[in-house]
Amino acid sequence: MKKVLLSAAAIAAIALSASAEQKIVIDGSTTVGPIAKAFAEYFMAAHPDVNITVSESGSGNGAKSIMNGVCDIADMSRPMKDSEFKAAADKGIQPVAHVVALDGLPVLVHPQNPIGELTIEQIRDIYTGKITNWKELGGPNLGIVVITRDTNSGTYETFEGMVMNKEKITEKAEYVGSNGAIRQRVQSTPAAIGYAGLGFVDKTVKALKVNGVYPSAGTVRTGEYPISRPLFMYTNGYPKLGSPVYQFVTLYLTEDGQEMVDQIGFIPVTSY
Amino acid sequence: MRIETRRLLNRAFSSLGLISIGLMALVLVVILTPIIAKGSGAFVFRSTVEHRKLMFDHWNRGNPERVKQDEAKAAVARAPVYQMLSDFKAELESMPRAERSRYKKPLRAVETALGRLLGPNPGSRTPVLMRQQYGATRWDRTQAKLDNLLYSEEWDYSNPDALGVKVLRPRVEDFRTTKLEPLFGYVKANIKPMMRPRWTFYWQFLFDTSKDSHIFGGIGPEVLGTIYLTLGAMLFAVPMGVIAAIYLCEYSREGRVISFLRICISTLAGVPSIVFGLFGLAFFLNTIHVSNSKSVLAGSLTLALLILPTVIRSSEEAILAVPRAYKEAALSLGAGRWYTIMTVILPAALPGILTGTVISMGRAAGETAPIIFTAAVSVGRPLLPIEALSQPTPALPWNIYNLCTEHEAVDEIRHVQYGMVFTLVALVLLLNVFAIVMRARISKKLRG
Repeated sequence: MKKVLLSAAAIAAIALSASAEQKIVIDGSTTVGPIAKAFAEYFMAAHPDVNITVSESGSGNGAKSIMNGVCDIADMSRPMKDSEFKAAADKGIQPVAHVVALDGLPVLVHPQNPIGELTIEQIRDIYTGKITNWKELGGPNLGIVVITRDTNSGTYETFEGMVMNKEKITEKAEYVGSNGAIRQRVQSTPAAIGYAGLGFVDKTVKALKVNGVYPSAGTVRTGEYPISRPLFMYTNGYPKLGSPVYQFVTLYLTEDGQEMVDQIGFIPVTSY
Repeated sequence: MRIETRRLLNRAFSSLGLISIGLMALVLVVILTPIIAKGSGAFVFRSTVEHRKLMFDHWNRGNPERVKQDEAKAAVARAPVYQMLSDFKAELESMPRAERSRYKKPLRAVETALGRLLGPNPGSRTPVLMRQQYGATRWDRTQAKLDNLLYSEEWDYSNPDALGVKVLRPRVEDFRTTKLEPLFGYVKANIKPMMRPRWTFYWQFLFDTSKDSHIFGGIGPEVLGTIYLTLGAMLFAVPMGVIAAIYLCEYSREGRVISFLRICISTLAGVPSIVFGLFGLAFFLNTIHVSNSKSVLAGSLTLALLILPTVIRSSEEAILAVPRAYKEAALSLGAGRWYTIMTVILPAALPGILTGTVISMGRAAGETAPIIFTAAVSVGRPLLPIEALSQPTPALPWNIYNLCTEHEAVDEIRHVQYGMVFTLVALVLLLNVFAIVMRARISKKLRG
């Protein structure tokens, strides 16, 4: 009886370690999520023995997951912070960044809203609560509904860093948990303003010109559009060359990878 | 109290009861009707030729010859569209440059809309993303995409004091007197032969893996993941819960410690589920590392903790409800305590225990918060049971939330969302029906 149990345990252990090698667990940003999901689909079609799982729980969670060693790749829509690097190093994790795409941060309003253009200062004033009515910006007489991302989000921190200039977001702002939720909130509220990744903009919302520049592949890449950022995937150390993780995080360099990034709506990283 | 008053009070009370029951039934109908009506749309719908092509390409379904025929017929109907397009492009070449640039943007918009409706142009390179390899696969989406081809949405902001007004402008106006002009009329008139809609019962929706993050395919991994999580939770919670209940009822002596334990159990039953989720993350994953990533195992353990109090409580009630005479009879015949519990008390309590178990099973199947951090992911393969120990899985409750809020193409996949909701509700309903039937059967057997 004991022998049977032992051999069963041994078989289970072997099966476990075998299956453990064949998985890539991805956690993190909801902005990078669509890219990760498309890459995962593409990668699994070519490597049927690898199971890639993608969760979208926010950049902050991604950083925590990789620090705790519970994911292989952390999607992040902002660079890691010093404190996170330090915490990771303390746990023996060495985060290595892979920039998989570029992203602008379009400021979104409802298409019914006649406003087509704002300056960074005006956006900041809206978010600090100094401007509370679209009338003050030349629009209709409507109280502005300010929508922002949760503080766990990389998109939030990018916005805070590039627009808010260390000023506090108004207490009246409504916090939502993902890019998709921002879009849904804005598309259903004529007086709303929000911001999301480029890949989430469709015709149900209107992206504004910021400082006179419309967010597009061209203006983001050159930096003309003022709110733009790279999108990251972090791994623990540089992945072993040839390993599934290595192949996955270098997928963005291939032609197919770039086409996917482009078609989802983000901007591929290219040198041409 | 006078008799009339009493009667009046009685009547008021019973009518209040009736009203509340009626209200509950009404709410149930209001909730269930749209779920059933829209959810069945994921299974039964009018599929287009694109859907059948997709099914054949990826799952090898359908008679190859008939699919080929289907495609060929659709291609014949579509040929004039592509002919007009290439004719117009030739016409563009001969135009002076200034005029040519005027058509550049509208033409690109038409081509994109056409791609979404019909799929990529024949002969062109196959796109990498699957969502661009096929046109509209459902007839209801076809209508929306046809509108998108025929009209461009514009907004009229002429009144600065009011919100803009949506104006649908026919795209044909951009192409008056060109060779593209007849395209719009042609597509509108011939949309049926081009898409060949047909009623389909896509029962495989329950078992298929999703393709291109739920835009195509089914919800197989989600259903399987939900089943794994639920069964896993039961595997941990039921033995532990029943044993704990037996101990509490039969072995323990009432005292301070036991009443404290009971308070703890009741408190545990009232703890919000998200707290269990965070506990699962902090304890199972980050402290004792049951697996090196989120996994079904960690999720099951967390869910087991969540339902443990319910299982203990319902088992306890069931055991206490066994008539004292049974126990006394068994003991007086000389049976030991253990023997009495196993042969007399547990069988008699089984219907009650089972009901509690199945009801908590329904709860485990539907809980989202405990699995967010411990087990659930947006996309992933269906797992083998052995892989469930170390790998995370998609699961219905989490994916419903994910598709509703986080997905990048929410409006394209409403039917999948409703399909998932429908499946989950049906699953829980089935479990409850199963519980009722089981209970009835066992108590009948016991009565002899």
